[in-house]
Amino acid sequence: MVKDVLKVGMGQLLVEGGEPERNLERACQMIGQGAREQCDIVLLPECLDLAWTHPSSKNEAAPIPGPFSDIICAKAKEAGVYVCAGLTEKHQGRVYNSAILVGKTGQIVLKYRKINVLAVGQEFYAIGSSLAVTETPFGVLGINICSDNYMDGLPIGHTLARMGAQIILSPSSWTVDYSVVESEDPYGEKWLKPYKILAELYNLVIVGTTSVGVIVGGPYEGKKMIGCSLAVGQRGIIARGKYNEFAGELITAEFPVPQRREKGAAIGEMLKRKGHQFDQIK
Amino acid sequence: MTEKNLQKTNNEQMCTRCIVDTTVPGHNFDENGLCAYCRLHDKLEQRYPLNEWGERELQKLVRSIKQKGKHNKFDCVVGISGGRDSIYTLYMTKKIWGLRPVAVHFNDGFGNPVAGENMKRATDILGIELRTITSDWRESKDLRIAYLKASTPDFGTPTDIGIATALYGTAHKENVKNIVIGQSFRTEGIAPLEWNYLDGKYLKTVHDQFGTIKLRKWTADDPGFNLSLWPMIYYAFIKRIRTIPLLYYHNYIRSEAETIIKKEVGWVYTGAHYYDDLYQSLMTYIMRVKFNIDRRKYNYASLVRCGQMTKEEALENLKNVYVIEDPKVMDLCVKRLGLTKEQFESYLALPPKTFRDYKTTYSLLKKLRWFVKISSKMNLLPSTAYDKYFECG
Repeated sequence: MVKDVLKVGMGQLLVEGGEPERNLERACQMIGQGAREQCDIVLLPECLDLAWTHPSSKNEAAPIPGPFSDIICAKAKEAGVYVCAGLTEKHQGRVYNSAILVGKTGQIVLKYRKINVLAVGQEFYAIGSSLAVTETPFGVLGINICSDNYMDGLPIGHTLARMGAQIILSPSSWTVDYSVVESEDPYGEKWLKPYKILAELYNLVIVGTTSVGVIVGGPYEGKKMIGCSLAVGQRGIIARGKYNEFAGELITAEFPVPQRREKGAAIGEMLKRKGHQFDQIK
Repeated sequence: MTEKNLQKTNNEQMCTRCIVDTTVPGHNFDENGLCAYCRLHDKLEQRYPLNEWGERELQKLVRSIKQKGKHNKFDCVVGISGGRDSIYTLYMTKKIWGLRPVAVHFNDGFGNPVAGENMKRATDILGIELRTITSDWRESKDLRIAYLKASTPDFGTPTDIGIATALYGTAHKENVKNIVIGQSFRTEGIAPLEWNYLDGKYLKTVHDQFGTIKLRKWTADDPGFNLSLWPMIYYAFIKRIRTIPLLYYHNYIRSEAETIIKKEVGWVYTGAHYYDDLYQSLMTYIMRVKFNIDRRKYNYASLVRCGQMTKEEALENLKNVYVIEDPKVMDLCVKRLGLTKEQFESYLALPPKTFRDYKTTYSLLKKLRWFVKISSKMNLLPSTAYDKYFECG
């Protein structure tokens, strides 16, 4: 049965560097909470097992499928809910910053390896080489990860949209300097702007769930993750997580699944009508 | 009894009232076998009596906090950790005493997630704005390792100073003149000086000697780990920011407080006292195996004094290693500091020292003893600062 209204649980999880057991336990609790709150999908943060750029990524990453993803799959099955989660993947001697979409039956239905890996992260993660979307009872879903949605990485989002994504799920690990406090606007337009561009141009919904916690290892020490997860549709912000740096929270975003009429080259025509500026050679 | 015999007896002595024994520095038993901590407790009971006069004093203080903050968004800063005492203080501050606090938490990278949830729930339910002052992890990690190398039992000093500066820094930034802390001499006691010596110069000396990175400089709004003499003078005497332990004026009974905050703000016990900070797990272990210190002694002693625990119960509890020493959490602490087990073991094997082996402001404080006493009395310094520095070992 196709659902025309979708409820996404943005599981703004506390992620402790190098502590997969503790992090996965909290992830499972969050999935359970999402199911109890009637969510269709629970979206969890990037690298929720070991934390983004934590040194343990180099030698504690697990394959997918593997012990960490098995825990997520089992919980998704038990809770009867779709789960999208960011995990650190070991594959053929390389480590990837990956994300999986797990169906209600506990099967991995989509896996993505991050492409727009920041320079500081390339010591830890190899570059992904493919993009994909998948059909679900909620429409076509695509996955990208965190800085894939940087303004200069936006072609990744454009491509997912061209592939027909009605919803983009983006496990994230947004960071700010340690000195930021609750009374400040931590991100300004940093994430909102690219999210709005994709949502408005293509009539899709993009949901990013970020982690919370202090970065305690690796090149980003001195920074922290403070939540403020974000769901944006064509008409603007659908839901936004609260600022917090030590306690997880499930934020729900409920919205009609956007219906996209154009396919293939017709999307380009639609963009032209909207006045979109395509790439040019000077 | 000859002097030699008296000495022998003292070596085996335990206070006739509480459980302080000869292993606790500064025990100083009197002719009736009462320890110095019991005598201090009785003095504090006289200073902060739980009678009508005490209640009037409390109301006077509350009125003065309101008065001083009437033109501000907040009239006080309340330090919280997610533990029982601070969450109860936050609850009382807002709901019972009618103050307008901003809650301040110092996040030093080892927060217990259970305590984190407690703070979030409490501030949400009470409608209190939260400010989280996060340490620069590079600094706090370096300081923790420096203290392990310094080999003294008070390696919680960086966090304690971080908490103090987070409170002062926020009070300064928000132009708030009163800091409320959730400390109670009745239930927590006062740690012996040699077990827990708080001094910004001491921190600087240890870091200069064993640290590997430069600490950021002090500014009034962002003090970092700097709380040496000048910042202290600036906050306490120039800006006249007071530190007030409101629970001193209140009949604080832990079990009752726990019932209230569980009901009112969904508080959850972290599993042990001080366990709002995971690093306390490792600290408790090191104190026990390296320094032969069991901090529960002064905690339980205070509960015995005020009738919230029997002496028998306290002594029975002390027979077992404290539950806070969770091997998994201790491993987490070592790993989080980026240390190998071998490195950690090598620090553990260093000969034990105390703050007296390092350059501190203690000798200056001794010269300024009466000034410290008056400042403590006026709440310009924490009201038990004098007692802590001069009557606890």
